[in-house]
This record gives sequence, C-alpha cells and structure tokens, in this order.
Amino acid sequence: MMISMRAAAMAAVSAFALSSAVPASAQNLSMAVGAQVTSLDPHYHALSPNLAVATMIFDTLTAFDSESRMEPGLAESWRAVEPTVWEFKLRPGVKFHNGNAFTAEDVAFTIARVPQVVNSPSSYAIYTRAIERVEIVDPLTVRFHTRSPYPVLPNDLGQVAILDKETHEGASTEDFNSGKVAVGTGPFRYVNFRSGDRLELERNDAYWGDKPHWARVNYRILPNDASRTAALLAGDVDFIDQVPTSDLANLRRSDKVRVSEKDGLRIIFLALDHLHPEGSPQITDAEGKPLGKNPLHDLRVRRALSTAIDRPAIASRVMEGTSMPSGQFLPPTAFGAIPDLAAPKADPDAAKKLLAEAGYPNGFRITLSGPNDRYMNDARIVQAIGQMWTRIGVRTQVDAQPWTTFISRAGRQEFSAFLVGWGSSSGEASNPLRSLVAGYDRDKGFGTSNRGRYSNPEVDAKLEAALRELDDPKREALLRDATRLAMEDVAIIPIHIQKNLWAMRPTLQHDSRADELTRAQDVRPASSQPAAR
Amino acid sequence: MSASTAETAVPPAKAPKVETPFRRFVSEFCESKLALVGLIVFAIIVFIAVFAPFLSPQNPYDLAQLDIMDGRLEPGTRDGADTMTYWLGTDDQGRDMLSGIMYGLRISLMVGAGSAIIACAVGASLGLLAAYAGGRTDTVIMRLVDLQLSFPTILAALMILAFLGKGIFNVVIALVIVEWAYYARTVRGTALVERRREYIEAAQCLALPTRRVIFRHLLPNCLPPLIVVATMQIARAIALEATLSFLGLGVPITEPSLGLLISNGYEYMLSGKYWISFYPGIALLVTIVSINLVGDQMRDVLNPRLKK
Repeated sequence: MMISMRAAAMAAVSAFALSSAVPASAQNLSMAVGAQVTSLDPHYHALSPNLAVATMIFDTLTAFDSESRMEPGLAESWRAVEPTVWEFKLRPGVKFHNGNAFTAEDVAFTIARVPQVVNSPSSYAIYTRAIERVEIVDPLTVRFHTRSPYPVLPNDLGQVAILDKETHEGASTEDFNSGKVAVGTGPFRYVNFRSGDRLELERNDAYWGDKPHWARVNYRILPNDASRTAALLAGDVDFIDQVPTSDLANLRRSDKVRVSEKDGLRIIFLALDHLHPEGSPQITDAEGKPLGKNPLHDLRVRRALSTAIDRPAIASRVMEGTSMPSGQFLPPTAFGAIPDLAAPKADPDAAKKLLAEAGYPNGFRITLSGPNDRYMNDARIVQAIGQMWTRIGVRTQVDAQPWTTFISRAGRQEFSAFLVGWGSSSGEASNPLRSLVAGYDRDKGFGTSNRGRYSNPEVDAKLEAALRELDDPKREALLRDATRLAMEDVAIIPIHIQKNLWAMRPTLQHDSRADELTRAQDVRPASSQPAAR
Repeated sequence: MSASTAETAVPPAKAPKVETPFRRFVSEFCESKLALVGLIVFAIIVFIAVFAPFLSPQNPYDLAQLDIMDGRLEPGTRDGADTMTYWLGTDDQGRDMLSGIMYGLRISLMVGAGSAIIACAVGASLGLLAAYAGGRTDTVIMRLVDLQLSFPTILAALMILAFLGKGIFNVVIALVIVEWAYYARTVRGTALVERRREYIEAAQCLALPTRRVIFRHLLPNCLPPLIVVATMQIARAIALEATLSFLGLGVPITEPSLGLLISNGYEYMLSGKYWISFYPGIALLVTIVSINLVGDQMRDVLNPRLKK
C-alpha cells in the first residue's frame, strides 16, 4: 500500500515535471489563437481559422505563399489545355498519414465530396461549382472540365483540401472532429482535438515539402484578448495571434516578446443601404421626421460621407498604426487593384458643399451600425466615423452590437449604414467584386455578401467578362475597370486594410502571412534557416 | 443643516415636548461624523450630476465636440485647438474624462434612483397587499419573491437585458425586475406585525376603504425599514448598472456611464494609460461609499432594537 502510494506520488510528480517542462523544450510549440476552430472537416465551414488548421493537416492542389501568391501544392504544375479544360500534373510519391498513396482518384473523390457535406454553415462548394466533371488521364494527371472558361480555377482550388478516397469514403464531419479520419498529406498529423479548447499535432516525418521544425504542437484557442496576451507574457504559450492594438506599444517595447506583422488582405469598409428608395430605415431629416426618400441613392451624398472621413486619423489614433487607409478593396499592388488609387482625402468643407448641392444643407440623421467583437477595434472605428459625420451635419447615432446579432440584422437589410470587413483570401480583385458589389444573385453566386444590395449593370458586365477572360493582362484590366466603376460610384466606403499581428517569444521567428492564417509550420527558432527542399 | 447642528446641542431626553420624530431622527443621524461626511459628499455628487451640463468643460455625448486626434491624452494636457485642458485626460475617442465622469454620474444616479423608486413602489405595494390580504394572495406573491431572489442578481439582469436589448430605459426595467422582491419582503415582514395593531383594527371598524387603510395607515408605519432598504438598494443599483455597462449591455457606447468609461479604459490598463479607467472607478467608489455611509447610519437610527 505504502509503496504503491509512493509510486503514484512519484508518477504524479514526474508527470508534473514533464508537463511543466514542455514549453521549454526546443521541439515543442505552444500556440494560442483568438478565433474558434469550428471543425476539423476541411470541407465543412469556409472560415479562416478552419483553413489555417486544414493547411496544417491537409494539403491543397495549389497553395499560397505568405504574400498570397500561388505556388505548387499537391499539383506540380497546371495549364489550360483548352478554354474550358484545366490540366493539373500531380506531385508523385506523396503519401497520406496512414501510408496510402496520393493519386488522381483522390482528387476526383475530393471534388465530388465538397458539395455533399451536410449542414455546412458556409460551403466550400463555391470553389468547385465551376467544375462540370473531373477526367482522370493517368494516376498523376487530372483534367477539370468547366462549363465556361474559368481562369480563376487554380486560385479556387487553393482553398480545397485533398482527401483520401480510401479513408474518407462516406466519412462524416463528426468522424473528422473525433479524429477517426483526420488524416491528410499535410506537414502535421492529428493527435487530439477538444472543440473550443485545443488541437494537438505532431510532425509528419514523411512530409513531401519543407519539414516543420516542431515535433509536437499544442494549438490552443483563447478568444479573450487580454488572456491571450497574458498567457504569452506569463510564458504559458510561445506564440499568439490577433494581438490587441492596445497592448501593442507595450509588447513592441518589451524585450521578452517579438511582434511580427504583415499587411493583410482584409478591407474594413462601410456598406450603405442601396435598397429602400422610399426612405432608408435608419435615416430621418435633421428634425427626426421621415425624409420620404433615401439620401444614399444620391451619389453626391455618398461622396460627402466618404470625403468626411479622416482615414489617416483612424489609422494613427484608433488603430495605432496597424492599418493602411484605403480607397479600394485590396492593397494597390494586388492583382486587379488600381495602383494609383489612393484613399480619399478628408475634406469636411467639400463634404458639406456636396450635401448642400444634393439638397441637404442642414444634413440629416443616420444610425451607423457595426459589430463590437469581430474586427480589430470595430466599435472604436464606428464611433470615430460618427464624430466625423456629425461634424459635416450628418448627425450620427452609433450602434455597436455583438457580431451574431449584427450580421443577421445586416443580412435582413435593417441597417442604413454599417461597418463590416472582407478578407480576400485569393488576393485578387474578382473575389471582393463578386462577393461585395456584384448585383445580388444567389444562383450565380454573385453578391453573396452584398448586404447593402448595391447594383450596377456596368460593374457586373465588366466582372463577368473578367471571369471568362483567360489572358491575365486583359483580365486584370477588366477587373481594374470594374473596381474603378464601383469606387467612383461609391458602392461601398472603404476605410482601411488591416495589418495582421502576431507576438511570440524572442527566440522564435515567424513567416507572417497576408491571409491571416496562423500555422505552426510558419514558426521556427530564430536562428535556424528554412530547411532546404 | 444648521438647524440640525443646533438641535444636537439639545439633549433629546431632556426636551421631550419639543421633539418631533423627524427632529429626533436628524439629531441621532448627526451623531456619526462619518455619516455626516457621507451625506455632504453625496450632496456634492448630486449637485455635480444635476448641473453637469453647466459645470462640465465639454458635452461628452455630442460627437461633434469630440476629436479623435485628442484620444488617450494624459491628465493635464491641453486640447489640440488649445481651448481647454483635459484635467483628467481623455479616453480613446478624445472624450474629456472630467466631463465624461460628470455626465456618467448623472446616468448612474438617474438609473440608481429611478430604478429604486419604481422598484420600491412596486415592491412595497405588493408586500403590503401580501401582508394585508394574507391567504392565497400572500402565498402567490411571496413565492414569486422567493423565485426572484433565487436567481443571482447579475445573471437575472443579464438575461433580461439580452431579451430587451440595450438602452438606459431597459436597464432601469431590468433593475426594477431584479430588485422589487427585496422591498416586497421587507415591507411584508413589517406590515404583518403592524396589521395586528389596534389602530388598524380601529380603521377597519370605521369601515374605511381597504386602499385607504393600506396606504394611509399601514404604509406610513412600515416606512422606516423601507427607507433603509431603499438607500442600500440605490447603491446596489448604481453598482449593478456599472457592471452591466462594463459588460457592454447597458448604455449606448456614445453616451457612456461610469461603468462603460471603466470598460473603455480597461483594455489600456496594461499599456499604462491608467486614467481612462481609474478616475471613473474612483467616482463610482466614492458615490457608492457615500450612499452606504448614509444608509448604515439611517439603519442604526431607525432600528428600534438599537435604541439607547
């Protein structure tokens, strides 16, 4: 009895010693991320945190580097053999974690599975919708036949994780979450997943690409900003994402922490009510009486509201230098963005003049809504814009609310003006144009997030032409035309593009990504060089 | 105040004929210097809150008067246009903290007093009714009270606000719903004793209407404990409103109360910008302590068991 108790005590002590030794070990990495991972099924929910996890366990045919440029993944090369046929050459010798070989059969199986995932809150089928059928030429060659010319297919396939036909035939989302079939070709293998808490991974020693440095990864989910920062400072974790801007100055000054940042691809903008011509739900005249018309239908009013906003002030004071003022959807260097289109300059006097020309010399009243828990400093940005609008005579009431209520109300067109964000994961202009300003058409997959219901046939025509154009320079010109038309018409009011922020122990370094994904393979000890391929 | 100080000089026991209950109350209240200080501080706070629009350097609720470029300035800094000094600094929106606190006190007191008065009216009426009517009415009302008191206050208020939505008016409603039960229970206890007294019997023998018996005869004699509970509940309501606003369920973000001011500054505590949370916190603390000092002394004075 005595002996067994002592043995138990010793086991407990040594277990404790082991667990406390884990963060210090050079082979283990403990990360804390701010956003929930809703599932390990890579085809369940198209959401950045899920994609980050998917790209640790699985691979995609095409991949994106840290600058969101396309690079080979499980496909070594691809080309359009005909306007409606894309041919992909697959990487030879790739094995799934369970030893199965990766072949063209698996690609065909994956494309077939994506639209069949049940109860998907946001389906990956938008990325495979263009594919009419998959033709297996030989085990390492596959051809995608599309209904019409579809130049962005390689971009779209960069979002779709490839599964193993043998393992995943008939597998449900729950089978992935329980770990039963969480098997891919990616740099890490599944060890354990507790939803809402943590994901544990180990290195895939048979990985075909750059082998990650870490033998074991503890990927924790800590949604509270202050706890995440505190966990890093206390040494509980080695790496955090979504660093709160209020802590940033302090962390930058500290020699116990290294901050990494990257200009992102997420535009924060104001969407305006383009729908209700008989009067917007949250707009009244200066005395609080109904206007009988929607002032936002007047281009001069939309211009005035955009011109009233002092974007550099928001970037410096609210965002503390972690955003870039913007006048369009994407950074000027992105594919399809307009290189010389800068953010509109703030000019309150010109804005007042525009309002007077439009017939509102005394302004009007409006409610500006926004989330208070979704984007960096969202509620603060909304208040700051409220100040700026009130100063030109548009008396603004600010309404910040939790994301879940906010977004469902926005989707029901209950707001007159609201702040929202959009991350263009593919890094090129067809993505935001198609989702945010193209006329709402559910069947075409157009305007799926166009909650202000902007509609401009000229923009739609340019965009549709671009989506059919295989020649890159011509396509880019068409996308620029569409962007310019939408921006000159103030379809939305762009505010800024967020920078992505991470913080880590000074002994680590991070290959920071434009697409916000937080992944263990991008972190390594500060001195080491990336392993040669 | 001078009349009451003069009164303390006269030992109440020696002049029983000129003594009214009110004068006795005042003189006994003033026996505690601490309570007197509390009362004076509370009077000053009420004065600031009532006259905030005339006293404050800025209207912190008028967005046009705020300038984001003046955000997070340290206490004592001049503003960008060099027209005023931010004696207590500014918050992240460039709101003058001093003005923000003055207006915040206004909301806190308004919500505290408003909810306490309504809850008192509702709770006292139901408590009296329960005690006077007895029987099934008593059982129903008191089981409702038990039900209400079995929920943690914050949790109940959170649920009500989640259902009603944000806004000052809704906060008052939520506070009334979570607080009426305290008044009901207190009043019922006293009223149960009082209703067996002779004067009630006498009133009933005169065939006075029930309403008149309850409100003109029973209620005045149940007042002392009610006043004590009300004072304590005002302080509680103020603290609760601050908590709800801190959690983002109270007032709109452009019209911050003390709780929301503290919450706005909370995120900056780690970066050393203490003043955004600190000063509203002090204001909240002083308000609640002063009310509690007054309430404690009132309880001692009005409690017949502590009579010397």
